[in-house]
Parts: sequence; structure tokens; C-alpha cells
Amino acid sequence: MKSKTHELYVLEQLAGGHTWIHRIHPTVKLFTTAVFIITIASFDRYAIGRLIPYIFYPLLLMVISETPYPVLMKRFLLALPFCFFAGISNIIFDRAPAFTICGIAVSYGVISFFTILFRTYLCVMGVLLFVSVTPLAEITLSMRRLRVPYIFVVIFEMTYRYIGILFEEAHSMYIAYSLRSTGSRGIKMRDMGSFAGQLLLRSFDRAERVYHAMKCRGYALQTLPKNGRPAEQKDWLYLFSVCFLCIVFRFTDINASFGKLLGGFFHAQNK
Amino acid sequence: MSFTLNEGENIALIGENGAGKTSLLLAATGILETASGTIEINGIPLDRKTIHAVRRQIGLVFQNPDDQLFMPLIYDDIAFGCRNLGLPEEEIRTRVDETLQKLNITHLKDRSALKLSGGEKRMAAIATVLAMKPSFLMFDEPTAFLDPKAKRLLTGTVKNLKHPKIIATHDMVFAAEVCNRVIVLKNGRLMADGEPPLFHNHELMQEFGL
Repeated sequence: MKSKTHELYVLEQLAGGHTWIHRIHPTVKLFTTAVFIITIASFDRYAIGRLIPYIFYPLLLMVISETPYPVLMKRFLLALPFCFFAGISNIIFDRAPAFTICGIAVSYGVISFFTILFRTYLCVMGVLLFVSVTPLAEITLSMRRLRVPYIFVVIFEMTYRYIGILFEEAHSMYIAYSLRSTGSRGIKMRDMGSFAGQLLLRSFDRAERVYHAMKCRGYALQTLPKNGRPAEQKDWLYLFSVCFLCIVFRFTDINASFGKLLGGFFHAQNK
Repeated sequence: MSFTLNEGENIALIGENGAGKTSLLLAATGILETASGTIEINGIPLDRKTIHAVRRQIGLVFQNPDDQLFMPLIYDDIAFGCRNLGLPEEEIRTRVDETLQKLNITHLKDRSALKLSGGEKRMAAIATVLAMKPSFLMFDEPTAFLDPKAKRLLTGTVKNLKHPKIIATHDMVFAAEVCNRVIVLKNGRLMADGEPPLFHNHELMQEFGL
């Protein structure tokens, strides 16, 4: 569990990197991530093919930022059950056949199921990559610069901190429990209730102490840096490139255009 | 209780468990609200309006460094307070580097608090408040969880810091070495205020539950 706690902070540690993408202005990165997610969410539930070109964004970001794929994939797997259960009902209720492959009918429900999975994959990857190239302090600062209400910024930051505290407390409680439970592995069902209750109380108490420590060091979200780094030419270039590509892929069917292009090419070859 | 911390003074705040040492430190930073009385820091009376100005003056090092080190890297933890002061990133970097050098812990800069020893965590926790350049320092049980070597290192470090200090502790040896004034608390009341020879008055110490 200790290594799991450490893993929680791996993305934040990666955010301290020094690649080109790490140096992009945080507000620009926040904005482009938002544009990417909104564009993806705006597609029809059967438009799985139209989503394929968007893979360019997480793929490029991953390569440029040197973020290891397993680190991202592990976190995506946490979100997978949610979208899986959200999409499974589509297969059951939307049974109208869309097309057939080798005599097997593929329903619209199956297409929308895979669209949900792929859409979630893209969005989660987009967010994870944003977190892995932008330190938390810069994310919250950008949120404040974009005039996100104070309460949302605090909730975001505190929730993030609380997850770590919860893991750490659970770790020390689990060790204390294991040392006094004779030979059995895991927590016995009869102890689960009191364990969870104690964990909640302990983590609340600890979270409060951490919050006190934060307040003692001026945490009040009232002072924005007087001369924050302004966006440079490369930041603007990044912003316009990503937004331009997102919008182009949204309003033009790149797959169809690419297909036509290939078709035309082979047609000319055959002649 | 009423007392004043003067320039050049290091006060040892001693008393049995539950005497009110930690509460006093938390009240001085405005974390705990006092039912009555006033607290004045560098001429600024502590109230809701002045709380942020007051907190800029005080550096409080908590008993458990795990409560104070909540960022992924030690660098971020030290920079946290400076960022809240609204300092530009360049100055933050300079302050962090200066503080790390001052405490001889530059090697901890890019490490996670989860992987540090108790002594290293304690030094990092001190660095987090020193980087904010407070007017005076308060320590809550600074020698708790430390082995003798780490304790010796800490004693030297705390002695070298020029800030006036209030140190809540049960460690009489540490207090005698670092402090030039002693305040004894019992049940939230100030029982004695004197110089370190007070430590050697065993009858008095026993009377105060020490």
C-alpha cells in the first residue's frame, strides 16, 4: 500500500519535468485540455470513426512529455468500470442493426458502447497528460486566473490532497491491524466497519492538521503573483495549433476525406 | 496568561500533556480562536482582518512533519508558502535554494517526503517555514520522533537560527541547550516564567507534572 501511496504522486512528480511541453504556459495547457474534452464530448454517440483522429493529442503529448504509457494506462483502468457500466445498457436496449460483418450483425448499441469507451479513453488521457505536465500549484493558479469560483478551486485541491492522506492513514492502520491479526490476510469482514469508521475519523483529523499547516503558510488563495509569466509566442502557437486541429477534426470528416484521397490514388494507379 | 517574546529570546514552553502548549501556538497563528484576551504580533493585534499579515510574521513548525509536507517533492513543499505570498517564480526558486543551502539539505530538493527519514523530514519542515522569511519561529515538539544523531543536528540548526523562538517541548536537555527563557504551563495557565536554571528545580518541576 505504501508503494500505491507513492504511485499516487508519480504524476505530480512527472509534472516537474523539463521538456518543451512542461514549459508551455499552464493556462494555455488548461484551456487546450478543456477545448479537447469539449470537442470530444460534442460528438454523436455513434461517431466512433470521427473520434479516431483525436488520438493525435494524447499520443503527441505522451511522446513529447516523455510520460510512460503504463503510468497513464493504470489510471485509465480505474475509470474503465464506470464507462463500461454506463455503456453496457446501450448494447441491451439499442439492438437495431447498423451493418453486418461476415454475416454478423453489429447493432447501434455496440457502436455507441465502443464510442463511450473510446471517448472516455481520450478524455481521461487528456486530463492525465495535462496533470503529468503541469504542477498542481500551477493548475490551481490557472484556474484562479480563469476566474473559476474560489470554492471549486479549494474543493479540487483539497480532494486531491485528501486522497493521499486517506491512503497514508489506511496504510498505517492496515500495518497495525495485520500485526495483531493472527495469520489471516486482509481485513476480516467483522472488523471492516470499525476499520472504515476509524479510517474516516483519523483521515479527517489528519486532513485538518494538514489544512492548518497550509493556512499557517499563507494558504488563503488571496494573493495572485504580481508578475506572473506572460504567455509567449510558443504558447500562442501551441494554443492555436491544438484548437485549430480540434475544430477541423470536428467539422470535417477526415476519415472520409482520407478515404476519398486513397480511393482516387488507387483509381489513378489502376488506370 | 500574559507574556512577551523579545528580540534574541528563545522561549522553552514546557508543561505536562494537555497543559496547552500546542493550543497556545495554534492560537498565536489564529488557527484556534481565543474566547478572550488579545494576541499581538509585532504590534499587529490578531483578528480576522489581520490574520494573513500576522501569519506572514510567524513560522510554525508542526509536531508531525508529515502534516507539513504534503506536496510531491520537497521543492514544492518549500515553494508552497512563497507561492501563497504571491512571489514571482524566479524569486521562489532563489528562496528555496537559499533555504536548502542554509540547512544543508540541498540533496533533498527533488525527493518525495514519503522517502525521507524522520530527521530529514524535520529539516525539510523547518525549511518550509524559513523560506517565507518569518519574523519569529515556533516549534511544536521539534525533537519528537528523532534519533540522537538527528536530534544533535536539529539542536545545532535551531541554535544557529537567529529568529526569536518559542519551542514547545518535553525534552529538557534540548530546551536547556537552545533556550534562554522558560515558561511553564499547567492546565492552560502560566505557572512560571524564568531562566534555564528553572529546569534544575526538581521539586518545582514535579509540582508542574514534569
